[in-house]
Amino acid sequence: MSRPASAKALARSQGTERSLTFVTGLLALLAGSAVLVLGAGWFGTYRARRPVLDPAVTEWLAAREPVVLRVVAIVAGLALLVFGLWWCFRSLRPEAKPDLRLDRTEGRALTVTAGALSAAVQADTEAVDGVTKAKVRSVGDPGEPALRLQVWLREGTDLRRVWRDLDAEVLARARTALGVETLPVAVRIELGASPRRRVR
Amino acid sequence: MRVLVRLLSTLLGLAVAGAGALLALEVAWHWWRPADVPLVAPWPAWRDALANTGWDSFSVRVAAVAVAVSGLVLLLASAVARRRDVRLTDPATDVSVTTSPRSLARVVGTHVRAQDNVTSASVTASARKVRVRASSTFESEEQLRPRLTESVTGLIADLPLVRRPKISVVVDSPRDRR
Repeated sequence: MSRPASAKALARSQGTERSLTFVTGLLALLAGSAVLVLGAGWFGTYRARRPVLDPAVTEWLAAREPVVLRVVAIVAGLALLVFGLWWCFRSLRPEAKPDLRLDRTEGRALTVTAGALSAAVQADTEAVDGVTKAKVRSVGDPGEPALRLQVWLREGTDLRRVWRDLDAEVLARARTALGVETLPVAVRIELGASPRRRVR
Repeated sequence: MRVLVRLLSTLLGLAVAGAGALLALEVAWHWWRPADVPLVAPWPAWRDALANTGWDSFSVRVAAVAVAVSGLVLLLASAVARRRDVRLTDPATDVSVTTSPRSLARVVGTHVRAQDNVTSASVTASARKVRVRASSTFESEEQLRPRLTESVTGLIADLPLVRRPKISVVVDSPRDRR
């Protein structure tokens, strides 16, 4: 089941990083336990006393064609290198802020930059009654951009009214101004934030 | 926790890349110039050490325990790094709304503290459960609890939450201790 773009925009996806970390942890746990079990002699006391680098293994390896083994080892090493670098840079890269491309025709391309879009929607959102603060950014793929609004509401604000205002004024206006039919939006609401007080 | 998983993931990726580079480099170097090994990692020394160490030796067991424990830490860290946001109903198509468990707890806490005869209250909330601990000097648990449960239920019902959390109220009162 694919989630709609607005639900995907709610928070940064961390699925790949989490799964890779989980699988690594699982493998490490299984390997460590297997070695412990082997060392405790559950697979035979005699087997537990054999060296870690077993002569049987080295003899089996020595009987193979050395060229094949070397090529396999080098290819595996390079594959690990590429995979590890991909993994590392994927985890490190910041979340994308795509621009909104309204017109892709050759010669008359029209792009609204992420900064301009967020600033406009943020100003509109902060004008809604009951909103104390708002943060807006664009998220998602460049082909399917979405907006993420983080909205802080004053204590005792009626949620449904704020939603109506947000949808009727802010989002409708953004859609009309941009001339798009749909604009996926994710809203993160912080309720009952204490109002800012000035110290006199 | 989500930052921790991102950090661990980066380090693991770096470690895998480093191990792969070392493997490819050492094998290629051994192939090209068998007389000049090792290039970076002292693997002939490792090989000799491993050939003289049994599976039941102390150092192998210590290493196995260390690997298993770090694996468990990785498992736990990635398991607790899930999102805890509370979903609200979508006000329109193409709009999704969430709030944080903290702000849900804040709303309930403000509401409970504003009730009569509540001296203090603490609230923890998640998408599934809202737990209120209130203390009262003047009313016993039997008197206050139904009233608080009802009013918190009403408050939660007013919020457009996707799933109704269970509500549990505990009242701590000196009147019950007599």
